[in-house]
Amino acid sequence: MKNKQLKIIEKDCDEITSGDIDALEMLRNERVLIIGGTGFIGKWLTELIIFLNDHYNFNTNLSLLSRQSEIIYDQMPHLMKRKDVSLIRQDVRNLLEVPSDVSYVIHAAASPDSRVHSSDPIQTLSVIVNGTHAVLSAISEHLTLKKILYISSGLVYGSQPLDFLYMDEKYRGAPLCNSITSIYAEAKRCAETLCAAYFSQYKIPIVIIRPFAFIGPYQSLDKPWAINNFLRDGISGGPIRILTDGETVRSYMYASDMAFWILRILTEGISGIAYNVGSPYPVTLKNLAEKIAINFKPRPDIRIGTLFADPKYRSRFVPDVSLSKSLNLDIKVNLDDALKRTLASYAR
Amino acid sequence: MKRQLLVYDVTLRDGSHAIQHQLTKNMIVSYARLAESAGIPMIEVGHGNGLGASSLLVGQSLLTDYEMLEAARENLVNTKLGIHVMPGYATIKRDIRKAFEIGVDVIRCGAHCTEADTTERHISYAREKGKQVFGILMMSHMASKEVLVEEAFKMESYGAEAILIMDSAGAFLPQDVTDRIGALVGELSIPVGFHAHNNLGMAIANSVAAVEAGASIVDCSARGFGAGAGNAQIEVLVAVIEKMGYTTGIDLYSLLDASDLAENIFKHPPVIKPINIVSGLAGVFSGFAKHVERIAIEYNVDPRDIFLKLGKLKVIAGQEDVIIEVASELQRGNQKNEK
Repeated sequence: MKNKQLKIIEKDCDEITSGDIDALEMLRNERVLIIGGTGFIGKWLTELIIFLNDHYNFNTNLSLLSRQSEIIYDQMPHLMKRKDVSLIRQDVRNLLEVPSDVSYVIHAAASPDSRVHSSDPIQTLSVIVNGTHAVLSAISEHLTLKKILYISSGLVYGSQPLDFLYMDEKYRGAPLCNSITSIYAEAKRCAETLCAAYFSQYKIPIVIIRPFAFIGPYQSLDKPWAINNFLRDGISGGPIRILTDGETVRSYMYASDMAFWILRILTEGISGIAYNVGSPYPVTLKNLAEKIAINFKPRPDIRIGTLFADPKYRSRFVPDVSLSKSLNLDIKVNLDDALKRTLASYAR
Repeated sequence: MKRQLLVYDVTLRDGSHAIQHQLTKNMIVSYARLAESAGIPMIEVGHGNGLGASSLLVGQSLLTDYEMLEAARENLVNTKLGIHVMPGYATIKRDIRKAFEIGVDVIRCGAHCTEADTTERHISYAREKGKQVFGILMMSHMASKEVLVEEAFKMESYGAEAILIMDSAGAFLPQDVTDRIGALVGELSIPVGFHAHNNLGMAIANSVAAVEAGASIVDCSARGFGAGAGNAQIEVLVAVIEKMGYTTGIDLYSLLDASDLAENIFKHPPVIKPINIVSGLAGVFSGFAKHVERIAIEYNVDPRDIFLKLGKLKVIAGQEDVIIEVASELQRGNQKNEK
């Protein structure tokens, strides 16, 4: 008997692949290695791949490499008895080689938690930069490799100017390189440059994605991010607290769209290119809170600017995804549905 | 239009230092009602060193943390109830969880100004529980503005919704405050605040400097009740910043009435004693004053010498045991000189 969350995820995978299975055919009978496979992105890629195996006999073999790979069983116990999913316990920085039959690699190893970046900046840098170097070095002589996808970050662009509506891949902004707040973003920039170096020198077929913001089942609500806090506030009965004036702008892509886009970019993305992955549909935090609030009865209060509603605290983080759309990718789950499904997955 | 400022009242927490942490239930109930009637937006309640700090080392409080918080909670409606928390004294399981059950609205998580990373779990936990959380950098005269910005960034990343710096030793002059608050306001993407001590008579001037440099939160207390020479006097500060054109949402007449009554409740309004001036010059935590005075008598040494030596040692809150070491050393030195 599958639990409610798994049923939602299975339905999501069915919806996202419906009519688009051919686009993922290149993964059939291949072995995929996800490095850092136990995070939010790794979990969803795993769900989508095992769905393809279960419903379309893809026979794709999946390996998840992580420092604490077993922890994935805590949240995904249904993987324990699967023969198509194996775990590799290893620190990415010590990676010397990948299994010989691996043909696709997704490198996702890094913590996106800003608290970790501040408290342990050296480790954060080390995992991203040294880890990426180790991965690229290990696969540089891997003859069966068809493609590697590096998961960078939308933060590599630095702060998005408020009047710059959509961040495209050619934008040349950057974070402040000598600030503790830039540890993660600068490390990702360095890792992208390493990818460029290996692409140039060893002709490794490498494609990069720059993720923005996502929401969906498996999302931990303890992160100090607006949408996580709003969902948690709503679940606990409210009020939903918006720290500033509510005009900060974000966009959120649902997890199944995210996983599908990543696999498509893995198989069809052009080597040497970086693609934004995220929703191009902006939403103010005020509107987001309202969209979340209507899912609860009684409807929780929304408190805007509980501390100070100064416009100087506004920010914007919305991608231009024209490049990804050139691969015939689109958003299938709108924000309202994304929120409904996410909240349903938390219901016990 | 001038900004609205958040006036945060620490009478029932920092003021606890001034009476050796002997806050009674009657004091808390009476002052909480006064604060509520005056429209003070937030008051902080507890042991002078914060939640879980009652101990032989820094002084035992008369009431438990929970007796104090419950007494305040029952008498507050619109005024929010805050607590001061320092990792090391307060633990999440033993102290903070229970404080939240009582109904604390605001948690201010403090650490020495170079040790913000000790607050990660506490700040994160409070945010996870949907509480309003401020990060506090204490003894901020001991760090440059660049270091304060770095440490504040850490607290912001953990989930702090505002950052305050404390002039815990009352050591700042207005330009020191302007420099530090200006740097924080310029760099952070959350509001910044200031907590003054009056050792050098600068509490109001420094608070004004903070506001002019962009601070949005100012700490203060009735009659200035607080550690050492006390804090910025709330009734003066509110009058001054409203005269400057800022708004506070506090009814000044009610506040003035409340402060008169507060003096009746607490009996001993702080004055700047010579020992406080030396403490401010030495840059030693104001909360040491009572301990230093007591130990100086016990060891028959000059309390000013103790403060100056403690300043050289750069002691911080929680190192009260060093006072005895210093007093003992000074005593031995004096005895040697006499021979």
